[in-house]
Amino acid sequence: MSGAKLVVVEDEAHLAEVVADNLALEGWQVQVAGDGLRALELIRESRPDLVLLDVMLPGLDGFAVCQKLREAGDQVPILFLTAKSGQGDRLRGLELGGDDYLGKPFDLRELILRVRAILRRTEWMRSPSPAGDVLKLGDARVDFRSYEATAGGRTLQLSAKEILILRCLAERPGEVVARGEILQRVWGYDAFPTTRTIDNFIVRLRRVLEPDPRNPRFIHTVRGTGYRLTP
Amino acid sequence: MTRLRSTRRLLRLYGLVLLLYAALACWWVYFFSTETTWIVEHVRAAGGDLSPDQVERLREVTSGNARMFLFESAFLFVLLFGSGWLVLRALRREEALVRQQGNFLSAVTHELRSPVASARLYIESLQLGRVDPDKRERYLQHALEDLQRLSDTIDELLAGRSLMERGLALHPESLDLAAHVRRTLERLAALHSASGATLELDAPQPVAALADPVAVDRILDNLVSNGVKYGGKQARVVVSVRRHGRWAELSVRDHGQGLQGLDKARIFEPFVRGGEESVRTQPGVGLGLFIVRELARMHGGDVTVEDRPEGAGTRFTVHLPLQGTAHP
Repeated sequence: MSGAKLVVVEDEAHLAEVVADNLALEGWQVQVAGDGLRALELIRESRPDLVLLDVMLPGLDGFAVCQKLREAGDQVPILFLTAKSGQGDRLRGLELGGDDYLGKPFDLRELILRVRAILRRTEWMRSPSPAGDVLKLGDARVDFRSYEATAGGRTLQLSAKEILILRCLAERPGEVVARGEILQRVWGYDAFPTTRTIDNFIVRLRRVLEPDPRNPRFIHTVRGTGYRLTP
Repeated sequence: MTRLRSTRRLLRLYGLVLLLYAALACWWVYFFSTETTWIVEHVRAAGGDLSPDQVERLREVTSGNARMFLFESAFLFVLLFGSGWLVLRALRREEALVRQQGNFLSAVTHELRSPVASARLYIESLQLGRVDPDKRERYLQHALEDLQRLSDTIDELLAGRSLMERGLALHPESLDLAAHVRRTLERLAALHSASGATLELDAPQPVAALADPVAVDRILDNLVSNGVKYGGKQARVVVSVRRHGRWAELSVRDHGQGLQGLDKARIFEPFVRGGEESVRTQPGVGLGLFIVRELARMHGGDVTVEDRPEGAGTRFTVHLPLQGTAHP
């Protein structure tokens, strides 16, 4: 995690300075962009491990920057840092593919903890899974390295988040994994207001992977606790 | 925005009614134009007959009805269309107002939260001992600048609110506007020197004006800050004080990109700023020029703007009363 590359996108010179200084003190390499267009260039050039992105920016706003990156297939983790911290803005940021959202003004220690949490998650995503690189569920084959899923030669439409949920369950086969734990590992704390989000993802996973989603063979619900995977 | 959505729904419904009305009118026009033929055919089909005179008489009656109907329906259509246009215009105004309010809230939120966020981080870093000794002074200085910015924004908001409620009291006194502006400009020059801006004064003669010195300072502060903000890198702002006819004239000119399409009449309205707040390029909440205009008007004067294209900048001119001149 030390030496991770971070890009801070902030047009307020003072805020950019003090945030960048503090992140650099943690041993991370920090670059700063002062507007949306420069941010896109910098992110494409330097391939950072995390982007700290303001929303109100000259040229191109932060939401548009995030959208353009995701449309181009860039899955770099994004932490929104912004004065617009209403529930609507927060949800919009997360819907557009942001990983976390921190409203200004924020606590320095909280910022560092959140950055660490996202970097830890990224590291987990990139590390080899103790469950092996490939999970087989009936005909389906889910690759944790390439984030691809196939069944009988055809590609299954699974998002990165859905594959991460499967990985989380596959690392402890036969054991119950609590909803809170899945949320913590896949999204990071406090990113979503409710654990019901997980249930919606599980419903979708069953629809894609289970021969009969109403009577699941692989992904079982443990009432009131979480989920269990039996490959 | 919910209110706007429901108004838009109503407007769509209104458009649908207009369309139905137009379709119905077309049907009636068709009906009247073929009515005579239709009646004659039905009478003949029933074994009766009509003489050419009777047919002609029938045609006269039906075409008279058709003319009357056409006139009435055209009048009603103009009425409906006119009221629709009025509703649309009102809706557009309301939309602009809602957008303006939204922009203002975004700007205020940003202007209040950003300096608090950076001042807090500077102080927290110092408190946690996370700052190199050679950076301590710089951090303290920046935190102070953030607090000053916060204080300026709060002052601007309060002044704007007082002016909107007409609650601000003016205390005009006799003063040499040239000398007063020179002193204020020295203070402002120090404040803006960090941004690389230069402020110049062109005030060859004393100008005896009757004005509130605090209001003059605020006018000058707002116009000069504007000039520095929009005057490009290392902005050059020229302030001049002159006697012009019955007025003491204070003008502030920058050499930036001008108003860039902003409506001259609207820039003095409260909360109006160029473009959308989400892609903002300059700090501010959109009250500066409104405050300048209201203060000038409270003195009996006014403010005008000249926009010079091709990077020759913008010039704001404020007229204040001269001593011994009665102004309303």
